[in-house]
Amino acid sequence: MTFRYTMIGAAVCIFVFYLGLILSLFYFVGGKVFWEALSHPNTLFSIRMSLIAATVATFFAVIVGLPSAYALSRFEFTGKRILDTFLEIPLIISPIALGAAFLVFFNTPLGELIQNKGIFFVFEVPGIILAQFATIAGLATRLMKASLDEISPRYEAVARSLGSSPWQAFYRVTLPLSFRGLLASIILSWAKAFGEFGATVTLAGAMPRKTETMPIAIFTALASANIDKAIVLILILVGFGLLTLYGVRLTGKRFRYD
Amino acid sequence: MIRIEGLTILFDTFKIVDLNIQIEEGGFHFLLGPTGSGKTLILESIMGLRKPKTGRIWIGDKEVQGLPPERRGISYVPQDLALFPHLKARENILFGIRARNLDMQIYEEYVQALVEVMKIEHLLERYPAHLSGGERKRVALLRALAPKPKLLLLDEPLSGLDPSIKVDIQHLLKNLHASFHPTTLCVTHDFEEVYFLGDGMTIFIDGKVEQVGKRDDVFWGPKSKKVAQFLGAKNLYRAKVLRNEKSSQRLILGVNGLQVSTPMSLYQDKMEIGREVDLFIRPEEVMIIREGKFVKDSLKQNIFKGKILDITDRERARTVYFQTMEGKILFEISIPNYAFRNLDLSTGKMVRIALREESLWVMA
Repeated sequence: MTFRYTMIGAAVCIFVFYLGLILSLFYFVGGKVFWEALSHPNTLFSIRMSLIAATVATFFAVIVGLPSAYALSRFEFTGKRILDTFLEIPLIISPIALGAAFLVFFNTPLGELIQNKGIFFVFEVPGIILAQFATIAGLATRLMKASLDEISPRYEAVARSLGSSPWQAFYRVTLPLSFRGLLASIILSWAKAFGEFGATVTLAGAMPRKTETMPIAIFTALASANIDKAIVLILILVGFGLLTLYGVRLTGKRFRYD
Repeated sequence: MIRIEGLTILFDTFKIVDLNIQIEEGGFHFLLGPTGSGKTLILESIMGLRKPKTGRIWIGDKEVQGLPPERRGISYVPQDLALFPHLKARENILFGIRARNLDMQIYEEYVQALVEVMKIEHLLERYPAHLSGGERKRVALLRALAPKPKLLLLDEPLSGLDPSIKVDIQHLLKNLHASFHPTTLCVTHDFEEVYFLGDGMTIFIDGKVEQVGKRDDVFWGPKSKKVAQFLGAKNLYRAKVLRNEKSSQRLILGVNGLQVSTPMSLYQDKMEIGREVDLFIRPEEVMIIREGKFVKDSLKQNIFKGKILDITDRERARTVYFQTMEGKILFEISIPNYAFRNLDLSTGKMVRIALREESLWVMA
């Protein structure tokens, strides 16, 4: 039984470690100041900004990522491996480096043209969305590809033989069958965007009431020794995180078709 | 009429060369080949999911080679069935009619008749996860047939079933075919399926067609040793033409010193003396002679004495392993249990066997 207890003990240690970390936050939570920090317009702004930016970034990541995931899952084509490898770039490059790369890009003639003719990204809200999109697009594609891989292409083959076009086979068969996996991928990608800091702060800056998302607000609160605000924001971030994980867990429950 | 001409498929390690198949309207044709011979690739190419290197496919007068799968009018039942797990049996069955935007009222009666033949009325509101293996097969077959395809493709339709359910599904398939006459191409490695269901078959080994013909013609007259071996033929021997007895219209073959007489009518080719051939007789065509019993003329030519080496028990028959005294040739003999009981056979016993001339098959 020693073996069993050692293994379970390790798992319990990890749990206690994270739980202790979260619980320690409550040590500094004092009633009135806490509520003041929570209801401060800057705090509410950063919460709203984070929710909106993460949702929009996830939306774009799904729009581009789902067809890409399908292509990588179902088709063989030249350059597939290179494309697949590139999806991991945001995972291996430091977020700050990614943000810095954007800053450099927007100083090139093409970048300047985009900013002059269209949308301004540097130190603007679209910059937050772009930074978050860049961080999660690869991940979202990867996760959605894994969900699509689980669905046998044979279903589509049969649907095609029964008269469905490739589009119809996708939305009548593959999409409903992989729906839960795709939803879990989307939730996880959203959570990743929601917590994104490095690329966002580098590209969009940390301007209160303008480009300040929750992780950025935590950073600025700590920098100005506003511990109450930092803790409030951390707790909200943890709360959203746990909700997200719960959501993913729910989608993981195998759907019984009955 | 379905015509597949010169289908050549190159994929990974698979190489399928110049496959030709013709199926009459309402026919049940088998494509029989060993496991892993690329049979599913052939079906996928016919369906349009895979582009063959060369080849043309006609359904009636229409060439469908350039059409996408959804416009070919070919239904497909894969080996794993691929019933849509998120749809109830009824929705699975109606999928093709809805996908093709066909008028449900026109098809209603036909689908109802199919449901009755397949005996699945009580399963229509269930999801595939709540169906047994046999029930899933029935629903999958029905789903394929519901939109009235011009060609039905079946991939190993009886694989993975318990023996008793396999028999049920075999009967259902036969009834289904007899009632609705769907033109069917079925791939399998199991000759038993062919024997029960098929009219015609194409034997396909190592990427090439070895023999095409009616079921019985192939079964009783394999064209090559490869086909005979694939069909599970026992008693396959290398023989040499020893002499030609013109008076009795017989050829005498030598098998390791044993002389076997065969009627000349068996040979299509000219058989010169000294030519090497393959001789084959099915285990159920070798007879053990009961001592004192009258022996028919057709058996008298090839009677050999020898010893029983072993007897094994099968489900409906015994297999007797017999070795001739002369030439030490081993024969596998299959005897139905009821006949076995009257023969009083045991290991080590000396007996005589007779080979019926008409049952001998010679492959040049």
